[in-house]
Amino acid sequence: MLKMNNISKMYQTEMVQTHALRDFNLNVEEGEFIAVTGPSGSGKTTFLNIAGMLEPFTGGEYLLDGIDVGKLNDNQRADLRNQKIGFIFQGFNLIPDLNLYENVEVPLRYRGIKAAERKRRIEQCLEQVGLASRAKHLPQQLSGGQQQRVAIARALAGEPRFLLADEPTGNLDSLMARQVMELLEQINRDGATIIMVTHDAELARRAPRNIQVVDGQLADFTLYQGNPNMVVGA
Amino acid sequence: MFSHYIDLSWRSFKRTPLVSLLMVIAIGVGIGITMTSLSVYHMMSMDPIPEKSDKLFAVQLQSMDEGESWWSPDSMPYQLTYRDTENLLNADLPFKRAALMKTGFSVHLNSDKVKPFLEQTRVASRDAFDMFNLPFINGGVWSKEQESSAAPVAVISQSISKKLFGTSNSVGETFYLDDLSVRVVGVIEDWKLHIKYFDLNNGSFNKPEHIFIPFSLIKANEIDTWGNTNGWKHEPVKVFNDKLQSEKFWLQFWVELNNASEKRVFEAYLENYIAEEKKAGRFTREKAEYKLRDVNQWISYWEVVNEDNKIMVALSFMFLAVCLANILGLLLAKFLRRAPEVGVRRALGASKKQVFFQHIVEVGMLGLFGGVIGIIVAQVGLFGIRQSLSYYDALANMDISMLMTAPLIAISACIIAGLYPAWLVCNTTPATYLKTQ
Repeated sequence: MLKMNNISKMYQTEMVQTHALRDFNLNVEEGEFIAVTGPSGSGKTTFLNIAGMLEPFTGGEYLLDGIDVGKLNDNQRADLRNQKIGFIFQGFNLIPDLNLYENVEVPLRYRGIKAAERKRRIEQCLEQVGLASRAKHLPQQLSGGQQQRVAIARALAGEPRFLLADEPTGNLDSLMARQVMELLEQINRDGATIIMVTHDAELARRAPRNIQVVDGQLADFTLYQGNPNMVVGA
Repeated sequence: MFSHYIDLSWRSFKRTPLVSLLMVIAIGVGIGITMTSLSVYHMMSMDPIPEKSDKLFAVQLQSMDEGESWWSPDSMPYQLTYRDTENLLNADLPFKRAALMKTGFSVHLNSDKVKPFLEQTRVASRDAFDMFNLPFINGGVWSKEQESSAAPVAVISQSISKKLFGTSNSVGETFYLDDLSVRVVGVIEDWKLHIKYFDLNNGSFNKPEHIFIPFSLIKANEIDTWGNTNGWKHEPVKVFNDKLQSEKFWLQFWVELNNASEKRVFEAYLENYIAEEKKAGRFTREKAEYKLRDVNQWISYWEVVNEDNKIMVALSFMFLAVCLANILGLLLAKFLRRAPEVGVRRALGASKKQVFFQHIVEVGMLGLFGGVIGIIVAQVGLFGIRQSLSYYDALANMDISMLMTAPLIAISACIIAGLYPAWLVCNTTPATYLKTQ
């Protein structure tokens, strides 16, 4: 489903070149739940941004469902991102002016889905995260955990095959973190492929596959559960 | 999606009401000032009779001796002598012609019903009403016989009719012009004209007259002009007939020529006329000189819209540019502050194009609101101009085209100002803001 071959990412200023990713190779199969760990500044978020097509990469090849991402223009990348990828952020990144219903609606509008279908999906997703009754509330009227569940609902609304989560429990207390993790596991069981960046070792251990990024490279991987054939690391 | 962008824009205004209000006021003031000067300029330069401005021609004849010069751009006299005017009017030609002169009288009813008042009056030949599209409400123009016999008749405007007789149907009523008793034969609608093109010699933007009397009354009643009389040589004028026979210029003459061949016929007539007059000792120049200028050429020849007006419009646009520069700064601050939200939208599937158009719609809405404020500011400005000088009564107004133009200029100007901030915000790297939000 996702294949990165020798991906590199270099940030350059007048004085310094910084390699955020180097010779990064990864294969992700459909239905996997991968936890990405590593020290701060190791390149985890850069990897996630490149996987989500939010940042261009400097070298290498990135195939998403067989599509060569490097050859797409901005509009094509936006379309592909909209159709295949859902994002969950550490800071929730809900739009404060929009109520929960409207927040979940955002990706659906960009996909051009008709109003009736949007309504159906939004209600279904809010139901799934247990916030259907709060649809008209603004994000700031909810707790952190509830906001993250809305963010998950928003990510799910587009029915993505691929969920990218950047420390989704980083701003939550342990109870809420566990609830969010359980929700993600449920989503994974329903068929979505999930890549989750986390600092939390306990949460990482709950993922069937762990990969570790160190100095911009995939340093190690550990298989906790599942089929070893699904795992390709470097 | 467009309606969604409008909804987002409205929310954005509500989120930052002070900044939005500042921008709307800035564009409103800029547009108001611009539209004030542009409206005056527009009215000044507007074709006063578009349906036939290319068919009506002001006639100029060079009757001055060789070596004499005039203060017009081509040294041609602006007006005609009485002799030439009368000859051209009475010539056996199949064209409508209007001989005109500005005069004025004390108007009264010889009773205590209406207080006498001074009123400018237009002496005109009967074709003038048809040529200048003056619509009659009641009655009509005086007859040919009345014109040739110098009958004391008049055509008056609706407002004068109401002022004198309390009705717009005063045909058959009589009133006095000084001591001359005249009978009303026709009532026309008030002549609303922003440029008094038929007599630019006596004030380009003065109001048209409300009383019209036959041209033949000049001679019969020795009616003198209230306009300019210009001479180019010493001529003793002891009695009114001396003025009629003099080479002084004091009358306006127009002819309606519907096509090029009619124009050629009239030009041939003028050449022939000058040749005949030359035999009588007039028109001493070697070459016959005359000019036929249509309405717009005539207005341009007189430089009705002068450089000052153009500079004023240019300055007002510069002021608008200053307002836009301020708006650009505010937009930059506002849009870049929103970069994290844009990052989220991009992550959720918005393309750069969609983000760009969302912001362009927002600045377009700003322009629309600013345009409405601008119209109000312009109306206040134009009111102030009208109050300062009655001369501007017909000019300091916004017609429908200017009312439509104001929001269009405001929207276009705001979109131009918003292009750079919108382009900047749609090109921000979304990943930069997603982590830091």
